[in-house]
Formats: sequence, structure tokens, C-alpha cells
Amino acid sequence: MNRPAFLISVILALGLGYGLAFTSPSGPAALGTPAVSDDDCLTCHGDPELNRADGTSLYFDQDKAQGSSHGQAGLSCVDCHTDLKATTDFPHAEKLRPVVCAACHEDIYQEIKASVHDGLEKKQVPVGCKDCHGTHDIRPADDFESSVSPLNLPETCEKCHAEKVKTPRGGEFIRQYEASAHFQGLMKSGLTLSANCSHCHGVHDILPTKDPASRVARSNIIRTCGRCHVGIEKSYREGVHGKAYVKGSGDVPVCTDCHSEHDIRAPEDLGSRVYATKVAAICVRCHDDERLGRLYGFLTSRLKTYFGSYHGTASKFGETRVANCASCHGFHDIRDSSDPDSSINPANLPKTCGTCHTGAGANFAKGKIHETPAEMSGNRWAQAVKVFYIALIAVLISAFLLFIAADLFRKVRLKWLNKRRPR
Amino acid sequence: MAEQTSPPLIADDEVFLRMNLAERLQHLLLIVTFTTLILTGLPLIFYDLGLFKSVFAYGRAFYIRGLLHRAAAVVLILDIVWHVVYTAATERGRNNFREMIPRFKDFRDALQVFGTNVGLSGFLHRRGVGKRFFARHPFWLFAAEPEFDRYNFVEKLEYWSLIWGSVVMILSGFFMWRVELSLRLFPLWLHNIFIIVHGYEAMLAFLAVIIWHMYNVHLNPEVFPMSKVWLNGRITGHELRTLHALEYRKILEERRREL
Repeated sequence: MNRPAFLISVILALGLGYGLAFTSPSGPAALGTPAVSDDDCLTCHGDPELNRADGTSLYFDQDKAQGSSHGQAGLSCVDCHTDLKATTDFPHAEKLRPVVCAACHEDIYQEIKASVHDGLEKKQVPVGCKDCHGTHDIRPADDFESSVSPLNLPETCEKCHAEKVKTPRGGEFIRQYEASAHFQGLMKSGLTLSANCSHCHGVHDILPTKDPASRVARSNIIRTCGRCHVGIEKSYREGVHGKAYVKGSGDVPVCTDCHSEHDIRAPEDLGSRVYATKVAAICVRCHDDERLGRLYGFLTSRLKTYFGSYHGTASKFGETRVANCASCHGFHDIRDSSDPDSSINPANLPKTCGTCHTGAGANFAKGKIHETPAEMSGNRWAQAVKVFYIALIAVLISAFLLFIAADLFRKVRLKWLNKRRPR
Repeated sequence: MAEQTSPPLIADDEVFLRMNLAERLQHLLLIVTFTTLILTGLPLIFYDLGLFKSVFAYGRAFYIRGLLHRAAAVVLILDIVWHVVYTAATERGRNNFREMIPRFKDFRDALQVFGTNVGLSGFLHRRGVGKRFFARHPFWLFAAEPEFDRYNFVEKLEYWSLIWGSVVMILSGFFMWRVELSLRLFPLWLHNIFIIVHGYEAMLAFLAVIIWHMYNVHLNPEVFPMSKVWLNGRITGHELRTLHALEYRKILEERRREL
């Protein structure tokens, strides 16, 4: 005889005993023992055929319930459905009072009350415990069958957020998670360490992104991602972006600005926002911004000068084996070129360029990678050669066209004259 | 008048070999490699053009483009080597080269052709403008078209442009190909100039061929739709007399002496 069954039988036996001993209706309640036993409930609800008028089932699956957390703990029906505790008149009223989980789970109730799920934004209906945890088959998160097991959580959250309850950026935004490396890691490789909804958003204390206390707010996102990606957080904090972030800059990129929020993919994935040929487009959202350039003293026209180079041109045609922004500048710990640890510090350029160009020497640092027309002083000779060629092409091609025009002019004129003077 | 009765020394329908097989093959190789180089090189300059995107932005296409470009360059270099050896080693080659050397007359010819075509001097002269100037400098009257030798100024310009362009393109291209070697020898700013030169010289060559060469051998009403010399290598006595009068007279002179 297993434990719950044993318990139930004990409870039943006790209940029966008290029922026989005290005939007063208030008797059992006063003694803390329910007048209504689980067996009483199962008399009706144990019938799989039992339906409401609208056809929805009223069947209580005893086997399933006994495996649940509450079944294991030996709770009886009326421990939750408290308004039935003293009911003697069956069948009971169709509409019961909502189950109050807070009666036991007070701490969690407080968390939920402060979270977005209590209708913080008032427009929404508060979310009840059962929406995520289910009702009679509530199981602990480490149970494979639990609706909040890491493997099942995405589906549980999407039950509402994919369609019914639109968060500010809509259901499509939520579903992007399914393309992510996190989701693949979770579902394909079964790594429950791979981020699911609650890793980033929290569990009972989920707050809207715009709330500064939210785990996914700009002010916390580095810490949130860094909980798993520790080395990357460390690296980020050492770079220019991280240093400015710590000082409270609202301009520097955080994890999600480059990697996106839900659609985070491995850089090798063609759909990744940081795929080799797409990195440039991400960086220049800020680095071609004149306002930011003036504010932080960096040069703009980075995309133009990159695409103008062989690296950029090849990248534009989908070639991944050429340098992109990150190849030279690094990524999480991008440093100013004046920093001796920077990969683009002139002293380190031979090494940086040498990762692709074997045997790269000091000459790699003697000149500009991002050549712009505005930087004439940077390479006067290059500018002179350009001007020479543009002038040469203009003069020669004009001369050719003039010559051709004159030739055609004479031929047309002669033809016309011959017509006028028939021989 | 006696000349009229005896057959002419150069008949109008006599066939002369203007380009022999070797020369035609050299030219053919040049067409193939030049076209390949242009088609595989232009995408690097006009990288935003949708046409190039739709061809080269798939899979390994861009990489293969690079391979083709360098392969064509190698074939072009071999073609040039062949041409140089041929020019130096054969009597005909040396002769052609001698004829190809630019002279002051070529500059004069170009001016004269242009002046004759425009016809402004003649127009002014007929109105009595600048009578004394034209009396002293009859050249500027542009009364008649110049007579050309084996190679006229158009052909010489194209030939020497090709030589100049090839030297520039091969040198700059070589260092772009072997970028590690280039940067062992030169600073980056100089290497950047190689890239600029390679691009602009390519544009110049492309435009020159598309506009100048295509007009002279295809679109020019005199030869339209195409001069067939590059295919069969032949020109007629008539063409020799009208297009290369000086060469025609030289041949005539030779035959007279042989009589």
C-alpha cells in the first residue's frame, strides 16, 4: 500500500469514526476534521462521464492527482476547496469560491501581487496560479510532467502570450524565442541550463521591461545574462561599452541591442543578428550616428568606408571569410585604439591582422583601414592619385565622345549634301 | 594613260593579310580575358548594383568570382608574354612594332581628322574670315583628311593604352593578390593606393573599350555592324587604298621596283 493511499484511508477511517461518534453537524468542523471526505467527492467526480451542462468535464483523475505535489503532501479536496468543507447538501452549488493558494503560499502571493501578472498595468486581468501551474496535477518544477518544468515552460507561457495576452511587442516577438539558440539548447540538447522564459524574466516576480527593477530592464540585463554568461559579462565590463554602461550611459549597447532579445542565435547561424556579414549593420546603427559621434568623439562613415574596402565589399556579397567589425575590434570587450590592450592599438595591429594575413608585420599599421574622402590629410597620395584618375578619365572620355560626335556630324552632313545634289 | 590598259599593280579586290593567325589569336585571348576581368572585377566597384548582387551574392559565387578574375589575369599575362616574344622574334612582329611607334604625325592626324569633321575652318574660310592666317598655315584649314600608314592614330592610341594599362593593372593586381607580400614591402597607405589605381585604371580601360574601341570597329557607319579583320584578318586592296593610303603607296612602290 503506497503512502497517499494509506493516508487517505487513515483520514477516511478517522472521518468515519468521528462521523459516527458525533452527530452534531458542527462537530467535525470544530474538531478540524472535514465533514466531507475525498471519497464523498469521488462519489461523483470519480466518474469520467461526469460533465457540466456545456459538456466540459468534471472528472477528477485520482491517479494523476496523487502524483502531484499536493497529492504527495496528502492534501484533501476540501483543503483547497474550503467552501465545501462543511457542505452536507450534495450536489453542491455549481459555482464555488476561487481556491486561495495564498492561504498556504503567502510569500509567493506577495511576489505575484507586485508583479506584472497581478495586472500591474491595470488593463490586464490578473493571472491566477492555476494559469501556469494547473489545478489538480500541480507538480514541482523538476518533475518532467510539470507545466513549469524548464522543458514545458515555454509552451506554458506561450499559452497566453503567443495570442491571447499580447505583451507590448506582440505574439510574434515571443515566438521568436523558438528560433533561438537558447530554445534549441533546451529542446534539442535538453540542457535545462539553457535560458527559458523564467531565467531572464523571473518566476513569480516578473516585471514589465520598462520597470527599472525588471530583470530584463536595461539597468539589469547585463547582470541577468551574466548569471549564465559570466565570462562574457566580465569581458563586457572591461570594454568601452561596459565601462560607460556602469557609469549609467543610456547610449552604449547592452546584450540585447546586438543579440536581440528572444531571437538570440549562435553567430554561425545565418539568421543571427551577429552573423559575420550582418555585424556591420548592427554596429553602424550607433557608429554612423553623427550625434553620438560628436558626443563620444568617434568617427562616423564606418559602414561606407568598410564597404568601400575589399573586406566590406566581399562581406556584402555574403563572403564570411573576410574581416567584419568584430574581427578587428573584438566584440564584448571592444576597447579604444589608445588602450594598449586594444586589438586595434597600432602596436597590436600586426597580431590582429595576422590572424588572417599570416606573417603580417608593422606595415599593416602604417596607413588607414577606414579611408574616407574627408580624411584627406591621412593619405595625400591616395587623394592625389584619385584626383589624377578622375581628371584623366573625364578628359579622355570627353575627348573620345567629342571625336565620335564630330565624326558622326560629318557623315550625316555628307549624306545630306549628297541627297540634295543628285549626281 | 598607258596605266589604264595594263592591269593595276594593286587590284581593288586583292586580299591583304592585316592580322595573321597568331595576331588574331592574341586578340581573341585578349577579348576573352579582358571581358572576364571586367565582369568579375566590376562588382567590387559597383557593389550596390542589384545586377551583381543577383549574380554574385549566392553561396560560393563571390569566391569563384575571385578565382576567375585571377585565372583570367594569368591568361592575359601569358597572352602578353606571347605577344612580346612574337613581336621580338618574328620579322613581321618587329615590322608591326616599328609601324606602331607613335610619331608627331599621329597627333597632327588626330587634329586634322577632328578639324575636317567639324568643318569650322572651311566654313570660316569661305566667309573670308582669317584669310591671311589660313594662307600662312594651310594645315589649319583642314581641307582634306590625312592619309594613314599601316596603323593610324586611333589604333596606335589603343595599342599603347593597352600596354600602359596592362603594366599598371598587372603590377597593382599582383600586389593585391599577394597582399601579405605587398605589406611586407610597402606600408598600408601605399597598398591602399594600389587598390585605388587598380579600380580607376579598370574603369578607364572599360570605358575606353566600350566607347572608343566599340565605336571604331563596330558602330562607326563605315564598318557597321563590324569590321571583320579580327576574324579573317583580311582587308581588300580598296580598303588598303582608302584607309591606309601610305602603306598602300609603299606596297605599290615596292611592286613597281620589282617590275
